[in-house]
Amino acid sequence: MKNFIIKLGNLDRRIIFLLIGLSVLIPLINPNLIDLPLGEDRNTKIVYDSISQLQEDDKVLISFAYGASTKPEVHPMAVALLNHLFSKGIKVYIVSLWPESPIMAQQAISAVKNSDLFNIEDGIDYVMFDYKVGGFVVIKGIADNFRELYQQDYNGKLIDDLNIMDGVYSVKDFDFVFDFSAGVPGNAEWVQYACDPKNIPLSSGCTSIMVTDAIPYVESGQLRGILAGMPGAAEYEKMVYDYMISEQNNNSNINSGTAITKGKAYARMSAQSVAHLLMVLFIIIGNIAYYYSRKEK
Amino acid sequence: MELNFEIIGVWTLVLMTLSILSYLYGDNPFYKASEHIFVGVSAGYIFAITWWDQVWPNLFGRLFPSYVEAGFDFNIMYIIPLILGIFMLFRLIPSLSWLARISIGYIVGMAAGLKIYVFINSNILMQIQNSAIDFSKSGWEIFNHTLILIGVISGLVYFFFSKEHKGVVGTVSKIGIYFLMIKFGASFGFAVMGRISLLIGRFEDLINYSTQDYNYATPVIIVFMIVSLAIWSLKQKDNTEIKDKK
Repeated sequence: MKNFIIKLGNLDRRIIFLLIGLSVLIPLINPNLIDLPLGEDRNTKIVYDSISQLQEDDKVLISFAYGASTKPEVHPMAVALLNHLFSKGIKVYIVSLWPESPIMAQQAISAVKNSDLFNIEDGIDYVMFDYKVGGFVVIKGIADNFRELYQQDYNGKLIDDLNIMDGVYSVKDFDFVFDFSAGVPGNAEWVQYACDPKNIPLSSGCTSIMVTDAIPYVESGQLRGILAGMPGAAEYEKMVYDYMISEQNNNSNINSGTAITKGKAYARMSAQSVAHLLMVLFIIIGNIAYYYSRKEK
Repeated sequence: MELNFEIIGVWTLVLMTLSILSYLYGDNPFYKASEHIFVGVSAGYIFAITWWDQVWPNLFGRLFPSYVEAGFDFNIMYIIPLILGIFMLFRLIPSLSWLARISIGYIVGMAAGLKIYVFINSNILMQIQNSAIDFSKSGWEIFNHTLILIGVISGLVYFFFSKEHKGVVGTVSKIGIYFLMIKFGASFGFAVMGRISLLIGRFEDLINYSTQDYNYATPVIIVFMIVSLAIWSLKQKDNTEIKDKK
């Protein structure tokens, strides 16, 4: 047994890669094979409750600051949030702070529109703006003077001609700000440059790697909850899904008779959990093997 | 067999994904080629989008409003960023590269000035305020706040180097190390979760594109790459043997 564990400790890393690959691939190919339960994180609930408290025709500014490389984690959150907002009849304003973000934003909007659950129109129910270079400088610009920074929407229409832009001059004119980020600029910049100084409620959905840095802001209330990586996305998706199912027949914003489908993050969580279990197993075996091999020396 | 731009895009996506993943086997021509393409395409894309979405409408749109038609009025002040931008390009001319320091100085000064206030406000003052214990809360919350306070103080003591870490200071700094280790452990766990999420995203695409609708892109390219890598490995082996004989 001892020798076997020491041998396992010296396993070729390519075999470990292969096993990790299979642990992800098998649950994705056959999702019904492993169905692990999904919990409900306190921070996800805070995000859900904060959005639920918003009223029809409230204005929500969404910042897209992620790209293709972090899409699997953040994109499902964006789609779930848009579903949540449109089902409450809230006006959505989208800005992009990463070069690939306009594509991500467009794909998220398309996913929501293609679901046929809402009768939403560009320029009336939502408006998108181009990518702006500058990171925190852009956030500071949005906080101080939105119209100095943006004169046209994503389609080249002058914002003065858009009814949805009536009364929007700075971040103070929004009822809520939501940040989707995968690095810099991200939630820290929104806290520091816009929402703390102007006292606007802010939530964030970010990649897992950013969570430990953002948690102090959540604990202090500077961020109203956080959607932490794929588990956060899956939990929020489930909450929005349950809400939409319960509301579909009594809510005029949601088209009745159209099927509501679960989001993508929920389906991915089994693969995530199996891969984690395998990694924990390898860490334990690696440590025991290291202990034995040191003892032998 | 259907062939359109979507199919070409999907085949390129699958080839690039598998080429990057092939690094797990070892450094190889597929990986190198895809890495170079990625860097080139990213640089080109960012340059184009920065020019057309930022510089053209925001700078030239204010200097030549009737020509650019970006919705801005003429503003002579924007001649300053234009000059500072041109100065930055002077870095390419050694005799005039000193002019770039003016632009860099402006950027550094402006960023530092903006950062000082917001950092002190959001990351220091508000964090200190919120690490205080609120005794009006429930017992569990008071315990949590106390724990945070101990973590903050012991963590700060660990980074206090003006006094030798012995006695009480040593004990407190040791407690600080444990808090830091828990933080690093949590960061590592989240980092692993993030990487697995990315792998899931890639695999999901590969599974989706392995169907007849996309002309079996994934299985065809996997077989092609395995065969190519096998031939390449054999050739590498032969070359090494010839070199050894010489």
